[in-house]
This record gives sequence, C-alpha cells and structure tokens, in this order.
Amino acid sequence: MPPAIEVRGLVKRYGEIRAVDGVDLTIESGQVYALLGPNGAGKTTLVEIMEGYRDRDAGEVAVLGLDPGSQRDALTRRVGIVLQRSTPMEGLTPRELLSFTAKLYEHPMAVDEALELVGLTEHADRRGSKLSGGQKRRLDLATSVIGNPDLIFLDEPTTGFDAAARRQAWNVVQGLTERGATVLLTTHYLDEAEHLAREIGMIKDGKIIFEGGIAALRREMQTDTRISWLPPAGLELDNLPAAWSELRRAADGHIALPTQTPTRDLRELIAWADERGLAELPELVVERPDLEQMYLELVEDAAADAERAPL
Amino acid sequence: MIAAAADYSRWLRVLRLGYAYMRLQLKVIVREPAALFFVAIFPVLFLVIFSSLLTFSIELPPAAAGAGEIRFSQYFVAGIMGVAIFGTSFNLLGNSLAVQQFDGTLKQLAATPLPKTSFFLGQIGASLVITLGQLIVMLILGVLAYDVQLPDAGGWLTLIWILLLGVPAGCVMGIAITAIIPSARAAPAVIQAPFILFQFISGVFFTLASLPTWLQWVAGLFPLRWVAQGLRSVFLPDAYKYAEADMTWQLDLAAIVLVVWIVLGLAVAAFTFKWDRSG
Repeated sequence: MPPAIEVRGLVKRYGEIRAVDGVDLTIESGQVYALLGPNGAGKTTLVEIMEGYRDRDAGEVAVLGLDPGSQRDALTRRVGIVLQRSTPMEGLTPRELLSFTAKLYEHPMAVDEALELVGLTEHADRRGSKLSGGQKRRLDLATSVIGNPDLIFLDEPTTGFDAAARRQAWNVVQGLTERGATVLLTTHYLDEAEHLAREIGMIKDGKIIFEGGIAALRREMQTDTRISWLPPAGLELDNLPAAWSELRRAADGHIALPTQTPTRDLRELIAWADERGLAELPELVVERPDLEQMYLELVEDAAADAERAPL
Repeated sequence: MIAAAADYSRWLRVLRLGYAYMRLQLKVIVREPAALFFVAIFPVLFLVIFSSLLTFSIELPPAAAGAGEIRFSQYFVAGIMGVAIFGTSFNLLGNSLAVQQFDGTLKQLAATPLPKTSFFLGQIGASLVITLGQLIVMLILGVLAYDVQLPDAGGWLTLIWILLLGVPAGCVMGIAITAIIPSARAAPAVIQAPFILFQFISGVFFTLASLPTWLQWVAGLFPLRWVAQGLRSVFLPDAYKYAEADMTWQLDLAAIVLVVWIVLGLAVAAFTFKWDRSG
C-alpha cells in the first residue's frame, strides 16, 4: 500500500519566519501517526498545508496520492478533518448536522452509526448550543468520519479537556482506527501521542527533530545525563569549563548541562568552584531525566524562549 | 453521451446539495430569533409605524394631472419591500457570512466536499424563502390595516421576477462585501453604512426625481434602486411613472442591471470569497 502522506522539502514562510522549515515526512497507511510539539512549533501550519487550507512556498506534498494545493476537491471526498477550534452550528442538533453532512459523501455511514461511534446517541436531538465542550468535540469527530474517510486529520482533539473527557475521546479515536483509516493526530500532550500513536514525529521551530516509535524516542531523549546547579548571587561566572560555556540560564536561575560524560564534566566544575573558594555547589543535581520531563522542558523552552537571557 | 450524462449528474448533485444546504440554513436562521427579528421583522415594523404616522396623500406629478391621489402607505409599501429584500439578502447574509468566516464555521464546511456553487445556491435559496415570507406578511398587513391596493395580474408577474432577481442580486452584494470586512465585530458597521445610504438614494423614502441627477446615477449602479423602482411600478398607478427619473418605469433596464449584477457578482465572489479568515 502506498503511504497515506508523503512530504518532501516542505517550506512555508510568513515574512521572515519559516513556520515550516524543510519538513520531510512519510506516514504509512492504516496507522495513527502523532505530530507532537509545543504550541507555535509549526504543527498546525504543516497540517493545514496537507489539508489544503494553506498554500506552500516550496516542496512536494502528496496526500492519498493527491496534491492538496491543486486537487483539493478530490481530496475532501476522502479525508475527514477535525479542526483545532470546535464550531458546530449551534442552532442544529447533532442528528440534523450529521444527516446533512452524510449527504455530501458517496458512501457515508448511517447517522445512527456515527452517533453511536462517538457516544452521542443520547444527545442526538439536543441543540448544539446545549452540548458540553466534550460533546461538541465528539460531534466534530462524528462529522469528520461520517463520510467513511481513508484519512482523518485530528488537530489537538482534546485540548482543554479534563482527564475523563480525554480518556473518552481517546476511546473514540481508537474506535476510528479499527475501521482501517489512517489518522494524523497533532497534539502537545506526550501521553496522548504515547497512548494513541504507533509512530511519532516531533516538531520544533518548523523542523522535524525526531521521527520514530515511542520506544525509540525514549532511548533517544534519555541518553543524556544532566547536571544542574544554582549559582549564588554575585558569583562571577567567567572562565567556566569549556563544556559549560555555551549554556543559558533557566528562568529560575539554574544552569543545566546535558552530557554523556557526567563524571568528567562534574570534576571540571568542582575544580572551577574550588578555585573560587566555593566549597558547595548550591542545589547540585546529577540525574537522568525521563521522557516526560525532557518533553516538558522542550515545551517550556519554546514558551519561555523570549524571557531567557544568554548567560 | 457519457460525458453529457456525467455533466448532468454533476449538476444534479450541485442542485441537490444546494437544496439540502438551503434547508439547513433556514433552520439555523429561524432558530436565531434575535437576528431574524431585527432583519426580517424590522421592515414590517417600519411599515406599521410610517403608515400609521404619515397618513397624508401623495400628490400626482403635474404631467399626469387628474389620475387621482394615493395614500402614503401605498407609496411606502413598495419602498419598504425593497428594503426587506435587501435587508434579508445583503444585510443578513453579509453579516452571517462574515461572522462564520471569522469563527471557523465556514472553515469546517470547507473540509467537506460541499461544492461552492451549492453553498451559494443554498444561501440565495434561504434568502428567497425568508423574503417571500416577509412580503406576504407585509402585503396582508398592508391590505388589512392600511388599505393598500393589490396589484393587477401584470403587477404580480413583475413582483415575482423582481423578487427572483432582486434577492440573488442582494445576496451577491452580501457575499462580495465580506471581502472588505476586517473582523466579525466590524461586520454590522461595514454593512449597515451602505445599506442605509442605498435606502436614501434609491427612492425608498423620497421620490427619485427629487434627488440630484448625479445621485440618481450613483443609485443606478446598484440593485436597490431598480428593485424599488420595479416595486413602485407594481404598487403605484401607472401615471406615477412621471415622478421617476426617466418618466418611465424602465423595467427592461431594471432586469438588465439586476442580471448583470448577479452574473458579474457571482464571478467576482467565486474568486474573492474566503472560507476562512480566522487565522
């Protein structure tokens, strides 16, 4: 089976900013692929190019073998799209909206089946304005799958959900994949990607920085040990050992060094501290952070980039 | 032969989906009582208030002396019907499209294979149904309460084609104006300004002949003047054509202007219309 999505050298610029900066991506058919990354990493831009909402500045994109830029009409018949923002028409009931949507496709599923799939059977005849946030989101899911699509785009389907609603939404997504469709999920929750996806692409600053299974991601991100400590106020941080010189200070004042040679780096740091009469390095920690921690830091990194000053 | 059949079934689908979207849209509009009230009921209220306050008769132009006088309500019913037609098509549609462009509703719709033509047809169809309802209410009210005289057979025919051309022309304007609306919040203001202006220069409240010539020309570029003029030909005695700009009803010109607006407007709208302006 040919891949559901193939992207080569994709670039999208907004003025000086390269929101998507040379992305290559291959997503095989029949799997759930998670595009993971912090807010502002370029996830939505990348996905909206694949969905045909935005044009691209360079590169090749094939979605189900179609070019979303020039063959969008043909594409809409075969993909389902759940946008980041939920906007079902509030005056309509789920049944009314789904009956209409079903008419647009050649081989739709029955309205009752779609309602059942997302667990909205009980609320089928309630006005959109009376549905809860989670129910609206599940209606979005039903709308996007009623046409029996080969490929489903889910853009942050559970953002803003509480734990129970997320778990419920995950069950729905798993139900969809059992029907054989390919799912491209964008999320900034690591556990969501881990729970739903077989493969993960991690995106940061418009670039794919990792691609592979969750186990490989753990291996990749956990190779480094980390040394961190808090320099006391007034201490001159000149002539730090070479390994430390490139580092930047975190918002709380800690400096951290990811390293594969922790013993050597620590010895150098202690020697440096001795020369300055600093007998104890405040809040010294040597640790191997787990994947969740690494990912959180990546996310915070992106959020706090502007606030951090170079050391 | 096969190609023709495929073409036929393609158009059948466009029409079928246009009809389905019209029904959906009507449900949405009818369930939004506030918007429906202000746009659809307002002209009816206008008719009631003006016809109750202004009970004087309108004098005939000198050229047609002797044909008798008419009540103000008879004159006003023609103009206010024009306002109703444009209120629903231009004003209501323009506003609702602008809001849906910015809140993502149309973006979601653009994720589906709904053809653009079906979408436009559905919107125009929904406007037609609502306008028809308004006109019927106004006519019943006018006849029962304000002694409005119903048109003759030819007048009914004119009324029907004015409606069938006027509503789509207004819709096309509503679709087109969304291109210059900067935000959902600005939509009412951007649409209201020309809407009110058109009412004053199109002979709704004052006879056209009382306007300066250049203003008559400006009004002539837009559909409302021709809709209002056509409606006057329906509701006023024939002699009142001497109060028009050209001293005739100019129905053929009205039809041409409206058709040109629909055709050109749709062509422009097909290029400029955006499903999504939220990001």
